[in-house]
Amino acid sequence: MTRATPPARRGLAWITALGLVAALAAGLVVASQPRRPATAQEAPAVTVQKAHAGSATPAVKRRIVLLTIGSDSGAPKFGRGGAMESGRADALQLVVLDTVRRRGAVVSFPRDSYVPIPGHGTNKINAAMAFGGPPLLVATFEQLTGLTIDYYALTSFDGLTDIVNKVGKVTVNVDMNLRDRFAGAFLDKGRRNLSGSQALAYARARKTLPGGDFDRSRHQGQLLLGGLATFQRQVAEDPAKVMTWLGVLRDEVKTDVPFPELLRLALLATKVPPANIRNVPVPSVAGSAGGASVVRLLPGAYALFGRLRAGQLG
Amino acid sequence: MAPHNRSGRRLAGALLALLLAAGCTSGGRSEPPGQATGTTAAPGPAQPLHVRLVATAQVPPGGPSARRAAQQAAPGLERFLGRYLTVAFVDAAGGEARWDGLLGLFDQPVRAAARKQLDALSLGAAAPGVSAVRPHQASARAVVLYGSRRPAAATVRLAFDATADTAQGSGQVHLRSVLQLLATGDGWRIAAFDSRTGPPK
Repeated sequence: MTRATPPARRGLAWITALGLVAALAAGLVVASQPRRPATAQEAPAVTVQKAHAGSATPAVKRRIVLLTIGSDSGAPKFGRGGAMESGRADALQLVVLDTVRRRGAVVSFPRDSYVPIPGHGTNKINAAMAFGGPPLLVATFEQLTGLTIDYYALTSFDGLTDIVNKVGKVTVNVDMNLRDRFAGAFLDKGRRNLSGSQALAYARARKTLPGGDFDRSRHQGQLLLGGLATFQRQVAEDPAKVMTWLGVLRDEVKTDVPFPELLRLALLATKVPPANIRNVPVPSVAGSAGGASVVRLLPGAYALFGRLRAGQLG
Repeated sequence: MAPHNRSGRRLAGALLALLLAAGCTSGGRSEPPGQATGTTAAPGPAQPLHVRLVATAQVPPGGPSARRAAQQAAPGLERFLGRYLTVAFVDAAGGEARWDGLLGLFDQPVRAAARKQLDALSLGAAAPGVSAVRPHQASARAVVLYGSRRPAAATVRLAFDATADTAQGSGQVHLRSVLQLLATGDGWRIAAFDSRTGPPK
């Protein structure tokens, strides 16, 4: 038996259905709205890590003494044959670095400094390497200064030129107008980006300079510090430049610094302000010995060595 | 009229189900990947941490070609970087590690500094509150310096993104580092670093 549905109940069913359709349509409209990203109020993000930044370079906690040597040999491009380490040491800088206080000194020695050479009497300091290679030159410096030389680094005319060209010039504060045709140095005073050949000329110019060998030694120290500043600037822009510089040194410099130490020192060097490193020409005066012109160290030189031994680099 | 009645009820039921489904959709939260989920996600199975590395090499005259040198150095670097990220983040979850494994990856002269700056190098102080770390991506670019025949050092730019699960929910973990690496007889050590963690800049 079929029971007819009362009209009122049929109406209620339709109203319910229509209501559901309307609600569904409303729901679909809401669902079709572009989704807003969850806000912090809706879904607070879980903070796992706060922002932290940190950096460090190797803590080499001791004084480092490095002898940098520019040889007059081993430079075929400049017609200088032979081996670098058996030539004369025409550019000599003693780099003393306080790694804790990140201060240092570059002490420049005139090549004609007349000093005792172990086993070879007294002679110009640049002859020591020709007599016995870098080890005898190091021994000569140790006897002269009372400092223990940790390492040496040796390059040539070709090496210096190639280093500068490969790293893309070095910035140096040229401290005088230079017109030295003997060294090929033609530079105006001021901040200059020197190419390899210009850097070499600046390091060699002597004959036309008022201070002669003294000015030359100072310029060599400036070049070293300019190289440090250039290195730091490049590494700040691109940390991988550390590898570029180390690669250039690998190819152009002979040194007894073990590679792990070389890397640590290079990384440390990125944090030593060049302004904290003094360029100090060793106190000396022109003289003669046996008819040859030489440079004699003054008492102030020995006082300077004493201060360096005591760690007074300021 | 019974068929009508039954079909009406079925229609109403279907509409209700659709309505509920629509309501759930519209009310669901849209969340950026890796941000809060509101509930703690169950830790997924551990995924192998692979670092996608692009390497170039600087070789000495007479040494291997730069391309060959980079290819030769890449697997060892990938392993080292993968290990670093694993001990610094994935295995560090739970905070039970004393970081010795991580610090052992640093060269001795920089180890003390690394110990003081763990928050910039790893999960750090957040580690005890993290139940799991799920890596999303790990990539690196390396410049490898060769000695005569072997890698001697490298500069690596490392990027790592992951989701960390905590009792309060999940959140993002990020690392952006420049690592200066020293090659040792058995692999690599970190000789210097410049690193940051936390939200990307």
